[in-house]
Amino acid sequence: MKKLTTNEQASPSVDRRSFLRAAAGGGLAVATLPTLIDSFSVQALAGGDPRLQQLLEDQDRVLVLIQMAGGNDGLNTVIPHSDRLYYERRPTIAIAKNKTLRLTDTLGWHPAMAGFRSLYDEGKLAVVQGVTYPNPDRSHFRGTDIWLTATDADVFGSTGWVGRYLHTLAPSYPTELPAHPLAVQIGNATSLALLGSAGPMGISFRDPDEFYRLVNGGGGSGEVPSSEQSDTPAGREITFMRNIARSADVYANVVKQANDKSGASSVQFPASDIGAKLKVVSQLIAGGLRSRIYLISWANNNFDTHASQTSTDDPTLGVHANLLRELSEAVTAFMQEMKNRGHADRVAGMTFSEFGRRVYENGSVGTDHGTAAPLFVFGAQVEGGRVHGADPDLVNLDPIGDLLMQHDYRDVYASVLLQWFGVQDTMARQLLFRDFGKGAPALFKKATTRVEESDARQAFVRIGPNPATDVVVVQVNIDAQTDATLVLSDIRGIECRSARVEPWTGVGRLELTGLPAGTYIVTLHAGRSIAHTTIQITR
Amino acid sequence: MADLRERTRPLALDEAFHLVRRMTLQPTYALAASVVGKRPSEAVAALLDAPEAPFPSPIWALQTPNITDFNEAYRLFIEMQNWWLGRVLTVTSPRERLIMLWHNTFTSDYLNVYVSHWMVAQHQMLRTHAYDYSEISRRIVGDAAMLRYLNGDQSIKGRANENFAREWFELFSLGVGNYSEPDVLEAARAFTGWRISGLVGTYNRQLADLGEKTILGQTGPWEWKDVIDITLRQPACARFIARKLLRSYVEHEPSAETIEDVAKLLRSSDYKIRPVLLTLLSSEYFFTPNLRGALIKSPLELVVGLASALNVATVSRQYVSQVMTRLTQEPFYPPTVEGWKGHHAWITSSTFPQRQRFGESFVDGRQIGSSSKLTDDAGRTLVPDVIAFMKQFPDTNDAEKIVSNVAQALLAVPITKEQHDVLLEIMLAGAQKYEWDINSAAAVQRARFLIQAIARMPEFQLM
Repeated sequence: MKKLTTNEQASPSVDRRSFLRAAAGGGLAVATLPTLIDSFSVQALAGGDPRLQQLLEDQDRVLVLIQMAGGNDGLNTVIPHSDRLYYERRPTIAIAKNKTLRLTDTLGWHPAMAGFRSLYDEGKLAVVQGVTYPNPDRSHFRGTDIWLTATDADVFGSTGWVGRYLHTLAPSYPTELPAHPLAVQIGNATSLALLGSAGPMGISFRDPDEFYRLVNGGGGSGEVPSSEQSDTPAGREITFMRNIARSADVYANVVKQANDKSGASSVQFPASDIGAKLKVVSQLIAGGLRSRIYLISWANNNFDTHASQTSTDDPTLGVHANLLRELSEAVTAFMQEMKNRGHADRVAGMTFSEFGRRVYENGSVGTDHGTAAPLFVFGAQVEGGRVHGADPDLVNLDPIGDLLMQHDYRDVYASVLLQWFGVQDTMARQLLFRDFGKGAPALFKKATTRVEESDARQAFVRIGPNPATDVVVVQVNIDAQTDATLVLSDIRGIECRSARVEPWTGVGRLELTGLPAGTYIVTLHAGRSIAHTTIQITR
Repeated sequence: MADLRERTRPLALDEAFHLVRRMTLQPTYALAASVVGKRPSEAVAALLDAPEAPFPSPIWALQTPNITDFNEAYRLFIEMQNWWLGRVLTVTSPRERLIMLWHNTFTSDYLNVYVSHWMVAQHQMLRTHAYDYSEISRRIVGDAAMLRYLNGDQSIKGRANENFAREWFELFSLGVGNYSEPDVLEAARAFTGWRISGLVGTYNRQLADLGEKTILGQTGPWEWKDVIDITLRQPACARFIARKLLRSYVEHEPSAETIEDVAKLLRSSDYKIRPVLLTLLSSEYFFTPNLRGALIKSPLELVVGLASALNVATVSRQYVSQVMTRLTQEPFYPPTVEGWKGHHAWITSSTFPQRQRFGESFVDGRQIGSSSKLTDDAGRTLVPDVIAFMKQFPDTNDAEKIVSNVAQALLAVPITKEQHDVLLEIMLAGAQKYEWDINSAAAVQRARFLIQAIARMPEFQLM
């Protein structure tokens, strides 16, 4: 057992702001700068340009994580109905082939998953088989922590994989909070997945209106200032709470605004807890909240089906069937809603569970803790209608008699980071503490709406004078028909000026009067292209 | 290494508060004052040995369960919650807080167990044997609620259900890393043979797997009792329980050395808790100033603590239950078999504002974040008497001292000069210091301003 050192725990943060500063001040090749820019920092660079905001909203990608807490029985979810052993090992709870819904020639969906079947057939849902990790832990709590921290089985990590990723988008969190929460968990708890080295990188609430009322409903007798916190346990806890309180204060408003703006849902969400949670997520997305990650979970370890997993007289009914129906119906409604609201292309989801269950049923019409299991990735931009990996092998098992690994769960995370969020290879390796090589399965289609980062040397023809005093004239290399804008920001990323580029001539003029001396960033937005360069202002 | 040598200096008031905050759910000024001037070991013994009123089970819980439908089951859940909340709201004993440690270790929840009779019986077992981990371990195996919760009553020879065996090692005795996967499978065999009969679990050797098993390296025809004995002899077991005790009583991340020191105490006391607490809570280590306020209050500690400070033990128990539920600690309903994670998990962007709203609303007799009045169980309006609260302290007519005394009673960490000045300003609400008069009509609102401002501070969540 080894513990991560503080160094390893710290987010692999390339501090973007300080990089900008170094790049701008030190005369580094500015062309390398945009590769580090994603929409969050672009947003800071671009300020309130409504056209650009729209572009950013279109391209901001969202991932909804659905935790099937308790250990989902994969073999009774994606059913290997062509395997005789499946029926031999599970005489009571196995689901007959003719009851399953067709998935492939050899696999069938649990009959409660009609919605997943349709999504799969429409090419919007992918199945990844045999997901676990080497030396899988059969404890709920270790297993869950391993999945959430994305560490090896013998490593006790203290930050979550999502939290580490989000920290790279907002390196000075929580000192500086982005305008919108980076992640939202629907519920009262905050998952370890969202924990970064500087505390939780997201917020939690059950209901947007209630959240707003609670944060703003305080009495008016005044606030007591925070004392300078010493490095004692109490001092650290006070800082911890202050940061959480501040994020709640700041975000209660934007969350409520998004929720108010979204209006009524266009589809009927199922009445289940998970349906209600996905409905809230859909409203926040439709209402313009620009969180990257939403996380929902069942309230308890509901999938821990040691006993009475199925009804005794009909294995297609019972607790597990109900849970799978809740999942399938809620996700189906959510996908439809996202489609109706025009967000289908930028929203994807993934399920996960700490482990699958044993191949053998136990004596209580249930199954005990096992290892590998399928997970599901869904979305209009998912390479759907595919099963990644072979059917479960019920012959070659591990020494305890459980399923062997086909996919390391971190390879699936790598797919999400690389293919969905466009994270660079090296960064993804740092975030997941490992090399995944070619292991990341192709789960997402190529980006179609991403802002293209242009080479600044190609984009900017002429900038002058530089250094400048009152005005700078910028000539850019764009198609005559392209609508283009120049934005001038200071090195903190705060917009100072903007100007339209004349079509035909490709020239734009930025007025500089009133701006203090220093280094400034000029950003060109042309269609879906973006390019950056710098100028000096002298006084 | 923790300095477990006895601290002999008589307790000052701040130390007395520290002691009663960690030992009881009701760290009132009166309780702290009652041990001021005592040597720590005398104080700990006095608190442990204070007479405790009996706490009989509800009559229905002693009758054979006959639950016909969910409405009836639900009615009993509520009755059980009220029964227990009535106890913790009125009784100061350290046992009440210790029971929560065991309930949060040997978890069961009312919904999965379903039969509240069994939940009550489990609670009473934890109560009776709260000061003896070894005895609880033996009894939990055949505890009806536990048999149902972790499927022990459905585990049969030849096709054992592994649920209890795994959690026994992982969560009740050793912790992850101190047992192997085959140990779980073998112990599951040894735990077969139990059924529930009426209110209790019964062991039937005919139904048990009496074959040879190897558990934690020892081979024999082990039965359930042998598994407990073998487990409790493991050094890891004493360390596991030592860590739990330290997390509950002292600090959240005790060092390995400190854990080992307390584990030694547990081994030499044969897992009796009283002698361990006596040594630990009167040690130099326990009174290290750095450890003041090192723990985050559970919702129970927050709610009962404030109710007791303001002397409103008759507050509606269902209201208390609702608040605890919103703050993610519904009575008798831990979220998973791991129990409530506690500490940082208590505080989220959702629960922190609710904790603040609870505190400030309570002070002026309102329900959490609303204008609804606080009531007792009979629906009578209840308004905490903040003036009576203040009049406990000396120098009630010195505005500066009132602020210091109230802050000391309600906050586990000392306030700074700046915080003191702001609190004073908040209390005076525009008046001058010399105008403060605790007997004036305006004092009620001013006292509320002060306590509410304190209840909003993050410091208020610490203990």
